Amino acid sequence: MIVKRANPQPGLWNKLQMAWVRLHQRWPNLAASLPFVPLVFSWWLTAWLEVFPRAFFPGPGDVVLSMISLIYKGILPEYLLDSVTRLIVGASTGVAIAIPLGVLIGMSRRANTVLWPPLLFFQAVGDIAWLPILLIWFGFGLTTMTFVIVYTVLFPVVLNTVLGIRSINPDLLRAARSLGASQARMIWEVVLPGALPNIMTGLRNGLGYGWRALIAAEIIVGTSGIGFLMFDARRAGSVVEIMLGMIVLGLLWYVVDAWILAPIERATGERWGMVTR
Amino acid sequence: MVSSGNNAGLSAHNSQLMAARVRSAVWFLIPLALLVVIWAGVVSLFEVNPRIFPSVTSVWQAGLESVFDGTLVRHIGASLWRIAVGTTIGLAIGIPLGIAMGVVPAVASFFSPLVRFFSVLAGIAWIPIATLWFGYGFGAITFVIFNAVFFVVAYNALLGVSSIPMQVRNAAASLGAGRMAMIFEVLLPGALPNIVTGIRTGMGFAWRGLIAAEMIATDLGLGYMLFTARDFYKTEVIVLGMVVIGLLWLALDRLLLAPLERVTTERWGMVRS
Repeated sequence: MIVKRANPQPGLWNKLQMAWVRLHQRWPNLAASLPFVPLVFSWWLTAWLEVFPRAFFPGPGDVVLSMISLIYKGILPEYLLDSVTRLIVGASTGVAIAIPLGVLIGMSRRANTVLWPPLLFFQAVGDIAWLPILLIWFGFGLTTMTFVIVYTVLFPVVLNTVLGIRSINPDLLRAARSLGASQARMIWEVVLPGALPNIMTGLRNGLGYGWRALIAAEIIVGTSGIGFLMFDARRAGSVVEIMLGMIVLGLLWYVVDAWILAPIERATGERWGMVTR
Repeated sequence: MVSSGNNAGLSAHNSQLMAARVRSAVWFLIPLALLVVIWAGVVSLFEVNPRIFPSVTSVWQAGLESVFDGTLVRHIGASLWRIAVGTTIGLAIGIPLGIAMGVVPAVASFFSPLVRFFSVLAGIAWIPIATLWFGYGFGAITFVIFNAVFFVVAYNALLGVSSIPMQVRNAAASLGAGRMAMIFEVLLPGALPNIVTGIRTGMGFAWRGLIAAEMIATDLGLGYMLFTARDFYKTEVIVLGMVVIGLLWLALDRLLLAPLERVTTERWGMVRS
């Protein structure tokens, strides 16, 4: 590779590389969607050549057709809305519990000794293992699913809030205190802003897990939502709709993660001058 | 670590270290024991219906019973075997592929949205299609674990390799490193901290995927044990299963994954905050 670069006459390969780099700088979103073109093409080719039986491996055309028909029937928008609403309700409840809890554990040694071990244990139990007993308690409904998402989002946010508070420079805390800040102002003006980059990282991780937990809950609880759409399609043996569900899930999460969460995380990190790596 | 030359000092130091470790373990267990006491107290005080929440003794008995008739061991064995097979295949393909994609920067930036897209989907979302392709059972579940580990590890290996400074690679190349030496002495070690982080995240997804898949698609394993217990309202078996799942993951994470991560990040001098 190095030898090639020393070459005075750039080859086709190097030109391609340079062109790619330039494209990437000018239109990052366009460049990010480009690799999907050969993927979709090879998917289409494999399906068209019928390497696998068509019922098991439909092509992109079939998926697009089923998407159009499901949008037309109003099923897809409704299910999507259901899933997203559940995620938002669950995640915001989770964060509303997690941040105060994290501040408590991070600020008080006593709370830390008492709460930290159970926290680790319950994190290890994992959201999905709660599903059977939740079904007994709350039945097949919104409560069960919200509980699962709250549970999933809670732990990464708490753990990262604590981590963030621990990583605050103690000099800052001492300075604020010696300038006469009350406990409430300390939390509001020093601790929370200082821990914010970590809290954002925790939220991003938590949503990543929460998203998966939602799919599992929708598959198992099964009343509506994208997870239910996929599992219902599985029962009917319709690979087309399963693939459609996966693509919708992937696209949606990709957009949320790459265009909303990652920039926020980067912005808080940079704003606070804590660029990781 | 301070070594004080003579043996007596060293062993005194070691025993001090042991004592500290035992103390922290005890402090770790006390709150959990407290939790069990509260559980026992609440259940006996309010006479909670065993269909809603079991008592401590009934869970203990269910545990003993399932240990003695061998079902618990079989369920745990099946789950761990699936995790082991899926993870091994995932690592064996994910690490080389991730590194290969990361070698040339332009190629890495081309592939990374693709791998990222699939690592976003990794795990649970594949359960429906996996059960159609492989049928219910070992194949489908192992596939779900495999792809949870594979995509996350490949993405992190790719990130790791592309974060190695170009100067380091140029230096190695100008010192005459061949292709093999480059891979095994520069790229792989340089990407290792990222790869290990990827393994830990991927295993986290895989573990959840395993439980979910076992609830849906098999007749053996911890997830299945939980889900059938629900059909008969056997809450003691459900709680037993949850405790076992929690302890297993805690053991896996604390004894295997966390030390691995600590060792690589420390060894590479990349201790973060």
